[in-house]
Amino acid sequence: MAQRSSLHLAATVLLLAGLAGLAGTACSQASADEPKPKPENTISIQIGDPVPPQKFAHPPKFWIADVIDRSGNPQPMLVMKERGGVFLDKQPTAIVREALEQSLKAANLMAADAGSADLVVRVYLFHFGLAAGSGLDFFGKVEFSTIVKNPKTEQSQEVKAAGTSIAKGAVRKKNLQKNVQEDIEAALHDAMRNFLRGTQLKDAVAALWDQAEAAPAKGEASKPPAS
Amino acid sequence: MRIATVGIVAILLALAAPAKAKDETPQYKTAEAKHFTTAEGVELTPAFVDYFYAELRSELTKAKLAGEVIGEGEAVDEADAPQSLVITGTITEYKKGSVAKAALIGFGAGLRSLKMDADVTRRSDKQNLCVLHVHVKVDPRWNEQVMAKSAANLMVKEMKKALKEGAKPPA
Repeated sequence: MAQRSSLHLAATVLLLAGLAGLAGTACSQASADEPKPKPENTISIQIGDPVPPQKFAHPPKFWIADVIDRSGNPQPMLVMKERGGVFLDKQPTAIVREALEQSLKAANLMAADAGSADLVVRVYLFHFGLAAGSGLDFFGKVEFSTIVKNPKTEQSQEVKAAGTSIAKGAVRKKNLQKNVQEDIEAALHDAMRNFLRGTQLKDAVAALWDQAEAAPAKGEASKPPAS
Repeated sequence: MRIATVGIVAILLALAAPAKAKDETPQYKTAEAKHFTTAEGVELTPAFVDYFYAELRSELTKAKLAGEVIGEGEAVDEADAPQSLVITGTITEYKKGSVAKAALIGFGAGLRSLKMDADVTRRSDKQNLCVLHVHVKVDPRWNEQVMAKSAANLMVKEMKKALKEGAKPPA
């Protein structure tokens, strides 16, 4: 009886050891499949030509305070996992900041520092890179929301922007990387255009300007009249 | 001699084709596609609506219907507004389809189906230029995005046709 139970125990231990071994192999294989960033699978996203912003009635000077990643993506630099992976050379937040600053500087709408800015912009990035597409092509998407704040009045307005792009699929790795890069660049350009030329920004700037003009007038009205 | 004549005609036709394509100027200055809304009871994800929006813009660019396809909510110059289009629409019906029915019965049974209505309006005076009704049926094994792609393609084709017919002077 005791012999039988010890045999049982030995069999159970062997079975568990086997299962643990299998699990370990699967884990190590999975970690081996995990793509690693290398120079040959890393792409650099550039906006290209700066996006000309719309004309404002009172052109303000902007300052980009923060760009915060709200995508919830644990690997924001990994654009594509398949085919050995495609990585970005910079954080998406850095790319978006660079693109915004480049376009604002080109239009002379960028303040020299935060103190001299008329409007301070805080960007919340929701999506950067590829999104689920048909499988026949690449669907690039850049989506963010901004809080445009007037530091003098402490009033703020929300402005949303999104950019999309569809690029054709590819079989060869080299073409695949090129198409993904072009797709994300087009989506970024589209998002910048949507933000800088959007009616939401125009309305926000106009509203913040009106509030700023009304604020000193109110202040003057509350002052006691000089005798 | 005859072969030479045929050759010359073929060369002339080949040369004339790209020249005609280059001369084709877009009918409108800008076109703005908006995200389509979904009617009550339509079970489609927001990702589908996003993808359809992107595909529609891509197809509009390819069709060269307008000089520029702008994003949703972008400002347009007052001067360009009379020659600008705004495309709005609603997804009115979506049926998931059935793989079993499609495989066992065939002949169009169990196909995934999508119905959508779109309005094309002029930006300046909001005049309705055309109303489109699109019905797409695809294999239920294909994903929703493939359906969005074919729906966008069909919609732009119909739009181009309707706007061309509308632009013709009444007989």
